[in-house]
Amino acid sequence: MNALASSYVSQTKPTSEQLNFVVKKANIPGSIAIWFAILAEMSEFAIMFIVYFLAKVHNPELFHEGPTRLSTLAGTTNTLVMLTSSFFVVRAVIATRTNKPKQSANWLWGAVACGVIYLIIKAFEYHWNTTQGLATETNIFYGVYYYVTFNHFLHVGWGSAGLIWVIYRINTGIYTSNEHEGLINMAVYWHMIDLAWITIFPLLYVIR
Amino acid sequence: MNMTHKRTIGTLWVVLLALTLLSAYMAERADTSFISASIMAIVLAIKGRIIVDHFMELKKAHIVLRTLMRTYFYVIPSLIIIVYLFPEQIAKWTML
Repeated sequence: MNALASSYVSQTKPTSEQLNFVVKKANIPGSIAIWFAILAEMSEFAIMFIVYFLAKVHNPELFHEGPTRLSTLAGTTNTLVMLTSSFFVVRAVIATRTNKPKQSANWLWGAVACGVIYLIIKAFEYHWNTTQGLATETNIFYGVYYYVTFNHFLHVGWGSAGLIWVIYRINTGIYTSNEHEGLINMAVYWHMIDLAWITIFPLLYVIR
Repeated sequence: MNMTHKRTIGTLWVVLLALTLLSAYMAERADTSFISASIMAIVLAIKGRIIVDHFMELKKAHIVLRTLMRTYFYVIPSLIIIVYLFPEQIAKWTML
């Protein structure tokens, strides 16, 4: 019988230490709910990566030639932009923890700018592909490429909108240096979007 | 939250950018060899681990969450190497 249970049995008032033991939060950044979402999304991307690997082994020539016709410049620039946005988000979290909400909002605006730059580059890349005669039905490599990258494109879109929502929340003064779970939830979700992209980049743009 | 932490995060960001440029340089070079496939797999593993441990701050977080997220960046890089080494066998096993 644990200490809390025995205090009920003996009808003594549990000490605050015993109660804290019960309500102590697991060591998880943000809320458990956001991690369910993140793990679900990571699983979804994992399925796409498995599809990529299977399509690759069955169509070695197409997957050998495919990346050579994509813009390495666009893919690389977007990787640098995504990593930088993640860095900005970390700085925003640090600023909130040190009680600097204005700075925190500014770092997040930087991350939003990166998100927008990413979307613009991707739109140009898709346009450039079209002028090269590349489309979803060109062959299975480009089918996989469009499916995976457009899915990721949508994540960056709604992720950026989420960042703007968190900036609004910071400006309302709702977060303190100790209590800012909403910001952390958005931060880890944004890092997940970054993780998906750093995996997509070598698979579709680099490896032949 | 002190200067050291900020500096660590800044350094890791520069490392991530440098590793990306290394991958880009390899993309522009010749075909993927075993060596380059391995380097790309290792680069992905390192980048994933940095983001999971330091950006998501899972390094000292709950073991289940930390292990799940870290495992992802062992599995995908391993698949890159396995698929590079044994494409025909995998194709044979996964024939419909």
